[in-house]
Amino acid sequence: MGDVLVWTVWGAAAFACLGSGIAVVTFRNPFFSALALIGNLGALAVLFLLLSAEFVAAAQVLIYAGAVMVMFLFVIAYLGGSATEPPTRVSSWQGFAAAAAGTALLVEILLAIGLKGGGRLADEADVAQSFGSPAGIGRLFLTDHLLAFEITSIVLLVAAIGGVILGSHSRAERRASRTATGGGPQTPDDSWSGPSGTVPAGLPEEASAQ
Amino acid sequence: MMGPSITAYLILAAALFTTGAVGVLVRRSPLIILLSLEIMLNGANLALIAFSRYHGELDGHDCQGEDLAVAASEVVVGLGLIVAMSRRRLDLDVDRLTTLRG
Amino acid sequence: MVAAAWICLFAPLAAAAAITLAGNRLSRPGAGYVATASVGAAFVAALVAFASLLGRDGEQRDVSSTAWTWLSAGNLDFELSILVDPLSVLMMLIVTGVGALIVGYSIGYMDGEDEERRFFAYMALFVFSMLLLVQSGNFLMLLAGWGLVGLSSYLLIGFHQERPSAIAAAKKAFIMNAFGDATMVLALFLLVQQAGTLDYGGTFAQAEELASNGWVVNLIALGLLGGAVAKSAQLPLQTWLPDAMEGPTPVSALIHAATMVTAGVFLLVRTAPLFEVAPRIQDLAAGLGAATLLLAGLIALVQTDIKRVIAYSTMSQIGYMFLGAGLGAYANGMFHLMTHAFFKALLFLAAGIVIHALVGEQDIRKMGGLRRLMPRTWLAFLVGGLALAGMPPLSGFFSKDSILASALASGTYGQILLAAGLVGAFLTGLYTFRMIFIVFGGAPSEHVREHLHLHGRKEGPFWMTATVAVLAVLAVVGGGVQIAGVWHPLADFLRTSAEPLVEPSVAQDLITSAIAVALGLAGIAVAWWTYAVKRISPPRPSAARLTLERKFYFDEAYDLLFYRPAVMLARAWGNWIERPLIFGSISGLSAGTRGLARGVSDTQTGFLRTYALAIAGGVAILALVFVSVRA
Repeated sequence: MGDVLVWTVWGAAAFACLGSGIAVVTFRNPFFSALALIGNLGALAVLFLLLSAEFVAAAQVLIYAGAVMVMFLFVIAYLGGSATEPPTRVSSWQGFAAAAAGTALLVEILLAIGLKGGGRLADEADVAQSFGSPAGIGRLFLTDHLLAFEITSIVLLVAAIGGVILGSHSRAERRASRTATGGGPQTPDDSWSGPSGTVPAGLPEEASAQ
Repeated sequence: MMGPSITAYLILAAALFTTGAVGVLVRRSPLIILLSLEIMLNGANLALIAFSRYHGELDGHDCQGEDLAVAASEVVVGLGLIVAMSRRRLDLDVDRLTTLRG
Repeated sequence: MVAAAWICLFAPLAAAAAITLAGNRLSRPGAGYVATASVGAAFVAALVAFASLLGRDGEQRDVSSTAWTWLSAGNLDFELSILVDPLSVLMMLIVTGVGALIVGYSIGYMDGEDEERRFFAYMALFVFSMLLLVQSGNFLMLLAGWGLVGLSSYLLIGFHQERPSAIAAAKKAFIMNAFGDATMVLALFLLVQQAGTLDYGGTFAQAEELASNGWVVNLIALGLLGGAVAKSAQLPLQTWLPDAMEGPTPVSALIHAATMVTAGVFLLVRTAPLFEVAPRIQDLAAGLGAATLLLAGLIALVQTDIKRVIAYSTMSQIGYMFLGAGLGAYANGMFHLMTHAFFKALLFLAAGIVIHALVGEQDIRKMGGLRRLMPRTWLAFLVGGLALAGMPPLSGFFSKDSILASALASGTYGQILLAAGLVGAFLTGLYTFRMIFIVFGGAPSEHVREHLHLHGRKEGPFWMTATVAVLAVLAVVGGGVQIAGVWHPLADFLRTSAEPLVEPSVAQDLITSAIAVALGLAGIAVAWWTYAVKRISPPRPSAARLTLERKFYFDEAYDLLFYRPAVMLARAWGNWIERPLIFGSISGLSAGTRGLARGVSDTQTGFLRTYALAIAGGVAILALVFVSVRA
C-alpha cells in the first residue's frame, strides 16, 4: 500500500517536473516561462522529500522559488513588452545541431547510468532518521567543505557588487539627463562599463528621453 | 527504500538537463535562455541529491546548497545585464548582439 | 741556398706590397724601378741557388724546405714548402731573368701611363705567383701558384679597364683557365685519396702502386693535363690566347710568351712520374701538342695584327714543347722552353717598339718599309724570326730540332708527330717572314709616313732598346747550352729531375735537323716570293681562307656549345624556379597566413548561440570519451 502511494507521488511529481521543464523552454512569453519554472521547483521539492532531503526541499522552495524567481518576475514585469521574443526563425543548421547535441548528451548520460549503475544502483544505503537534517549539513559545511563554503560567500559578494554596478547610472548619463529637457526622466546610459565614462563604438546612442 | 530506485531519479535528472540544454541552444531571448539554464541546474541538483541518498552521505546536500547560491548570483548578474541592455534600447535578441564578431 | 730560394720567392711579393702600400707617395717611374729591382734581386738569388746546386752531387740536388705546416688533418699534412732542384732552379732563372728584362722594358713602354704603378704592382705579383708555382714542393702550393698566376693574368689583360674588349678578353682567359683549374683540382682529389699525400716525393714514390689501379691514374693524369692545356692554350682550350693580346705588350711578352703559358709544359715535366704510368695520357698530350702546332701555324698565316701573329706562333711553339714532353724528351722540351722565352720575348718587345713608334697601330697592313727607318728594330726582328724558324746557328735551331729528333726516335706514333712537326717548321718560316716582309719590306707606307714618331735618332726609349738588345744576344747564343750529340750539360743537369724516356741517336739528330732546316728555308723562300718580291700573289679569299680567318670556328663552336645553353639554363631557372618557387613562396606564405587568419576569424561569428552550441558539442564529445574509456 505504501509503495503504491510512493510510486504515485513520484509519478505525479516526475510528470510535473518534466512537463514544466518543457514548458519553460517552449513558451513564447517569458512571464509564463517563469511561472512554469516555479512549478518545476515545486515538483523538485516533492522529489527531494521522497529522497529524504527535507532541509534541501525547504531551502529550495524558500530561496529559489521565493526569492530568485520573484526577482525574475520583477524584471520581466519591468521589461514589459520588450521582453517578448519575436517569432523564432530557427536557422537551418543550428536547430539540427542543437537537437543532435541534446540527443547525444541524453544518450551518453543514459549509457553512463546504465553501464555503471544498473545492478548496483538498486541497493541504497540505509539512512538514519536524522539524514538530511540541517545539523548534519551544517557540520559538513564547516568541516569537509569549508573552503567551498567560504568561496561561495565571495561569489555572492561579487554578484552583489556586479548587480549594483550594472544597475547604476553613470556620471555621463546623469549629466546628459540634466542637460536634456529640464531634468526629466533619465537618459540611456552612455557608459557600458559603469562610472568610468568611456563610450565603446557600435552601441546605439540616443539622447532622447526614455 | 520504497518507490523507484535511484536509477529512475537519475534518468529524470538527465532528461531535465537535456531539456534545458536544448532550450539554451535554441531560444533567442536572453531571459528564456537564463530560465533554461536554471532548468539545467535543477537537473544537476536532482542528480546530486539522488546520489547523496544512495551513498548515505550528506555531501550531495552540501553541493546542492552551493549550487543554489551560485545560481542565485548568476541570475542577479544576468538580470542586471538584461536590464542594462534594455536601458540602451538594445534588442533583447541574442542573434542581433554580434559586436564580438570577427 | 735555401735562404736564397726563399728570397727569390718573396722579393717580388714584397715589391708588389710596397708599391701598393706606397700609393701616390711613390712616383710612377719609381714604381717601375722598385719592381725591376725586386725581380733583378730575385734573379741574383736564383743564380746563388743555381750555383750552390751545381756544387752538389746528383743525388743531393733535391732540397726541400718547409716554412710551416698549414693544415694537419688525420694522415694528411699540407705544408708551405718549396723544392729546390734542377728543374725548379732552371725555371726560376728563366722567369726572373727574362722577367727582369721585360719589367725593365716596361719602364720605357708604360711611361706616361696614368696607372703605371698599378701595372708594376701587378707585374711583381705575377712574378711572385710564377715563382710560387715553379718552386712549389707539393701539389697544393702548385695549385696556389696556378690560381694566382691566373689571377695576375686576368688583372693584366684587363689592365686598360676602360676598354670593353679588354675586360671581355680578361674574363674569357680567366674562365677558360678556371676550367683547367677545376680538372686539376679533381685530379688532386683523386690523388689525395689514392696516395694519401700531396707531396711530390711522396706521390711519385707511389706512382707504381697507383698504376695497378688502372683507370684512376689515367684520370689523375687527364685532370692534370686539362689544367696544363688550359694554362698553355693548347687544343681544345686555346681560344683565349689571341684575345689576351688586349693587354699591354710587355704583358703579352712576359705572361703569354715566356712564362705563364709555359707553366703547362713545366707541369708535364714535373709530374712526369705520374704521366709515365699513364702512357695513353702522355701520348694524348703529345698528340694535342702536334695538333695545336699545326692549327696555330695555319691560322697565323692570315692574321693582320702584329701581336696576334706572334701569339699564334707562341701557341704553335708550345705545341712543340708539349710534343717533346709528351714523348718523354723532358730535357729537350725544357730546352725549347728556355730558348723560346728568349726569342719570343725578343719578338714581342721589338713589336712593342714598332707599336710604340707608330703610336699604337698594330695592323700590319698599314705598316711597311720600316727597314730603313728603324734598322735596329729590323735587326732584332730578323734575329728573332730566324731563331723562331729554327735556323742555325741561332738558339731555336738546337732546341726545336732536338724535339723533332726525339719524335723520330719514338716509334710509329712519334713519326706521325714528326711529320706534323716538320710541316709546322715550314709554316713557321712562312708566317714569320710574311710578317717581317710586310712590316719592314718595301717602301714606307702612307700610314707610316704620317705617324711615325721616333725619339730623335733613337728608335725608342733607352729601357726598351737596351732590354731588346740583351734578348737578341741571348737568342743568338742561348742555343749553346746544348748541342745535340756533342755537348749536353742541360740534359745532364735535368736528368736528376726528370729522366728522359727517349734519347735520339746522333744520326737521327742530323737527319731531322737537315730536313727541318730545309723546310724552314722553303717557308722563308715562299714568303719572300709572295710578300717581298711579289711574284706570287697570296691566295684569293676562299672557304679555306675564311676558315683560317675564323680560327677554325672554335669561338663559334664554344659559343654554341657552352655559352648559349648556359644562358638558356640560367634564364629558364630564373623563370621557372626562382620566380615562382622562391619569390612565390614568400608571397604565398603571406597570402597563406592571411587566408588562415581569415578562416579562423570566421569562427568568431559573434552569435551567442554558436558559442553555446560549441560548448554543448564539446561536452558531448568529452562525455563520449569518458563513457568509452571508463566502460
